[in-house]
Amino acid sequence: MKSFLKADEFTRRQFMSNAARAYLGVNLFPMFGSTLASAAPEAAVKGGKAKHVIYLYMAGGMSHVDTFDPKEKKDIMGKTEVIKTNADGVTIGHYLPKTAEVMDKVCVVNSLKSTQGAHEQGSYVMHTSYNMLGTIRHPSLGSWVARLGGRLHPELPPYVAINASPENTGSGFFGSKFAAAPVGNPEQGLQDSKRSEAVSEDDFARRLSLADKMNRKFHDRYANADVKAYEELYREAINLMKSKDLAAFDLSRESQATRDLYGKGAFAQGCLLARRLVQHDVRFVEVQLGGWDTHYDNFAGVEGRCKEFDQAYAALLTDLEKTGKLQDTLVVVATEFGRTPEIQIAHAGGRDHHPSAFTCLLAGGGVKGGMKYGSTDASGSKVKDLPVSVQDFNATIAYALGLPHDLVLMSPSKRPFKFSGPDAAKAAPITSVFA
Amino acid sequence: MKYPCFPIFAAVVFATGLLPVVGQNARPKDDPAFLKKSALQIDQYVAAFYRRQKLEVPGVTDDATFLRRAFLVSVGRIPSSEEAIGFLEMDDATKREELVAYLLESPGHASHMSNWAFDLLRLTDRRVDTMANNEPYRNWVREAIENNMPWDKMVNRMLSSQGDGWDPSTAGVGYYTRDRGMPLDNLANTMRVFLGARMECAQCHDDPFGKTERHDFYQLAAFTHGQDEVRASLIQSFRADLAKKVENYSTPEFLLAQFLDDQVYGASLAGGGAGNIPLPMDYQYRDAKPGEVVGAKTPFGKPVRMSEKKEDGEGRKAFADWIINKTGEQFPTVIANRMWRQVMGKGIYEPVDEYLPPEKTHYPELITYISRLMVELDYDLRAFQHVLMLTRTFQFGTNPQESIIASADDFHGRKIQRLSSEQIWDSLITLAGGNPDGLPRRTLDDRIVIGGKPVLPNRRMGQLSKEVLALETEEEFRVYFDKLLAEMKQGGSAPSGDSMMSMGMTQVRTYNRDAKVRASELPSPAPREHFLYLFGQSDRMVVEGASRDPNVGQVLSLMNGFVQRQLVNNSQAHIYKTLDGASNDPEKIRRLYITILSRPPSDEEMQWMLAEVKAQGESGYRNIVSALVMSSEFLFLQ
Repeated sequence: MKSFLKADEFTRRQFMSNAARAYLGVNLFPMFGSTLASAAPEAAVKGGKAKHVIYLYMAGGMSHVDTFDPKEKKDIMGKTEVIKTNADGVTIGHYLPKTAEVMDKVCVVNSLKSTQGAHEQGSYVMHTSYNMLGTIRHPSLGSWVARLGGRLHPELPPYVAINASPENTGSGFFGSKFAAAPVGNPEQGLQDSKRSEAVSEDDFARRLSLADKMNRKFHDRYANADVKAYEELYREAINLMKSKDLAAFDLSRESQATRDLYGKGAFAQGCLLARRLVQHDVRFVEVQLGGWDTHYDNFAGVEGRCKEFDQAYAALLTDLEKTGKLQDTLVVVATEFGRTPEIQIAHAGGRDHHPSAFTCLLAGGGVKGGMKYGSTDASGSKVKDLPVSVQDFNATIAYALGLPHDLVLMSPSKRPFKFSGPDAAKAAPITSVFA
Repeated sequence: MKYPCFPIFAAVVFATGLLPVVGQNARPKDDPAFLKKSALQIDQYVAAFYRRQKLEVPGVTDDATFLRRAFLVSVGRIPSSEEAIGFLEMDDATKREELVAYLLESPGHASHMSNWAFDLLRLTDRRVDTMANNEPYRNWVREAIENNMPWDKMVNRMLSSQGDGWDPSTAGVGYYTRDRGMPLDNLANTMRVFLGARMECAQCHDDPFGKTERHDFYQLAAFTHGQDEVRASLIQSFRADLAKKVENYSTPEFLLAQFLDDQVYGASLAGGGAGNIPLPMDYQYRDAKPGEVVGAKTPFGKPVRMSEKKEDGEGRKAFADWIINKTGEQFPTVIANRMWRQVMGKGIYEPVDEYLPPEKTHYPELITYISRLMVELDYDLRAFQHVLMLTRTFQFGTNPQESIIASADDFHGRKIQRLSSEQIWDSLITLAGGNPDGLPRRTLDDRIVIGGKPVLPNRRMGQLSKEVLALETEEEFRVYFDKLLAEMKQGGSAPSGDSMMSMGMTQVRTYNRDAKVRASELPSPAPREHFLYLFGQSDRMVVEGASRDPNVGQVLSLMNGFVQRQLVNNSQAHIYKTLDGASNDPEKIRRLYITILSRPPSDEEMQWMLAEVKAQGESGYRNIVSALVMSSEFLFLQ
């Protein structure tokens, strides 16, 4: 199957009809020659071993020097100590002892750079490849993957967001069909996905049928896209309720030993839920861990966050490998920016935002482990070599999945958009980290 | 067939309608004639726009749509059945005006506006990884909204207060302490929220598209620089000593010290704004050196400067005064446009936090007018909303199409929009329990809680904070701390109501996540498994972070979740009480429609629903309730 053609029918028609217009002006379709004509997209898009993404988002800006880009100088490291890992030449901060045992599976990308130094804008560009604009909402990465990759499971949602901020996981102009199904608390799974026992099947069907009659009238009167979206979601939700795989959302099906392996807390159990979901063919799962905004007393803050992260992350990689899913699941650890190597004494040892150099992680899905990509200078302040833009990083995610990061899709307002952001960003996937 | 009559509501409406007896010298905001005249003026500007475009002015919507719109826009919920029937049955030419006056005076309005303020100010109850909460600040904002504190005064209090965070007269310091350790982010948000000036970029680099340079940003930051906790060195040195002695971080001693640091010192604010600031060490431009001290200077408006040579201590006052009084039309325009969006659904220009001077908008006369009106009404947000709700523009019929003008309202009728998460929740609890606004609102929670456990039951935060912040020397602090620690170890139980009164304590009333109360009374933000999260409530980490996007979880919730448990299958729900005394099926169906959708059913709908009742008997009514709440009509504002 030509992977980009998995984008739904509507997209293809739109793609074709827009092609002509595009040729009148700027060529919006760099992929045009190689894919649409004849060549198999596999030729254009290598990588491609991953079918799923687990996207672990460290909201607030994870300090790179205290975690995955430690330095020698004491005045930079403060209270953080450097420890060895099971991968040669890869060292990390001492708050991550369990992670140290799985670094042979991880590719540390030390040379990320963002142009956005505020949380909202920083998270937005990480999640969408575009800078925030007042005039349009861009789809998030999970929505792109759902749209370009299509769903693997006929009933389960292709994109699930666990404990995530709603403004980071929207589907923008793609519409609700590609929006994340939200899970607030992993322990409770997808809430309300079963019919209440107090309602008979007959009554349930009658309610839907009455609501449907009402809605059709309403939609006739107010033909509005948002109104329409709810109508479609009812169909989706009913298919989901009927699915035999709904148990994918149920953590109680896991043994206590497995649950303990991940540890306690919403993030840890969210990682376990993510593993269950990819096993059941969900495409993209985001799990958020907030609280990384350590302006004030950074070391206590990082230690606290790492307690939530360390065991869960190590367990996730080990567990995925054990169940054979690591090879086709890309596990990403991302954040909006790093934190300053300088320590703010006045703020009880705080660190401020640092978008000019930070670290994200890739593992699984065909990525080589036990390696570092790119580096920062001796202070962790600037990127020294192999700089990676936010758009390059996101292009790499698409590449891992075998999806065309530069395929142009049009918004309803007829503006062109790509997985890997605007043309000006000149995004290119990091291909050398793939085995 | 007639609806049952609910005279109580009608009486309230009439009484409110009669209330304002205003003399010649009334301030404009108190003068109903002035409010009406202003509404007419707005309509004339909008009509002029139609004339220019050679378009027909949209018609005015019907009573039922107006009723539902007016309720949702002003008090953030649908009317209860009593309120709906009261209004629909009134036969009075001025009933729309009377309804608006009634709603804006009701406690529901303060609840709805609190949600707005919490979103704008990013007001969360807690701060991650600390023992600090924002409780006194939340309560201060809630009270300011409830008392309709003029916006200029409220902004001034937030920007220039200093002192004890638990003292009601200075609790506005929460505006800064909420962002403890991140004064620059706080400043960027200040410029955005109050002036519609986007300076986030300039925090780190010159803005390649705008006029703002990093140097400008630091000159502005000089006004608010030098924020510190009141007598912070006392607790810092105490904790440093303690860290040397204490091995285990969970001893009562350590916890108490951390608690005082976070909850007392951390909630306080010293330093009135230095007026100067050193440039950051990574300053990258040629016009100055890293670490060089620059004096405060405003980037636009009437210039205000402070010397880089000395610390002034009055910088925040000067800054607040500049924002409010020296930026020309910018300050009143931004809040006027925010309120316009609050009432009309869309700003006159959007996004509302990117200020445009009038000549760059599609409606220069209108925006100039509402900006002046805001000033003339003394920044009284309630009076301003009152004017807008009296306009014909507010009453326009519904238009499902997107605005034809990008990033602005085209005034072609009311735009259809999904309700906010809070509006849906507040409407559902109205159906479940009737008018929720009679419930007492939550009070300030000033109990002393460490690690989730109440300690020091005979003390409250206000007094504790006052005493602690008054300690001047390390010796005094140590003595006080030891006494407190001994008291804490002793334990004890909470005093009874009477003895509490004699100690000057008030009963604390809070609502937990399961309470069926207004969203404004629940924890902020609501926990992640809550209905409010599912429907897109802001997590209040960023300015106005709410989402109205649909997702599959919302639909599941409507079909199987809260709605089913608390409403449809709950025979005690208020909605079923409205059926009392109805003698026949059509009457019952009519009442359900009015209660849920604020309108009677059409003939066709009546036939569908009668057939349902005929087929299913009593459970037919539950099916009807379920279907109406699941309908798009319920979820959208028309």
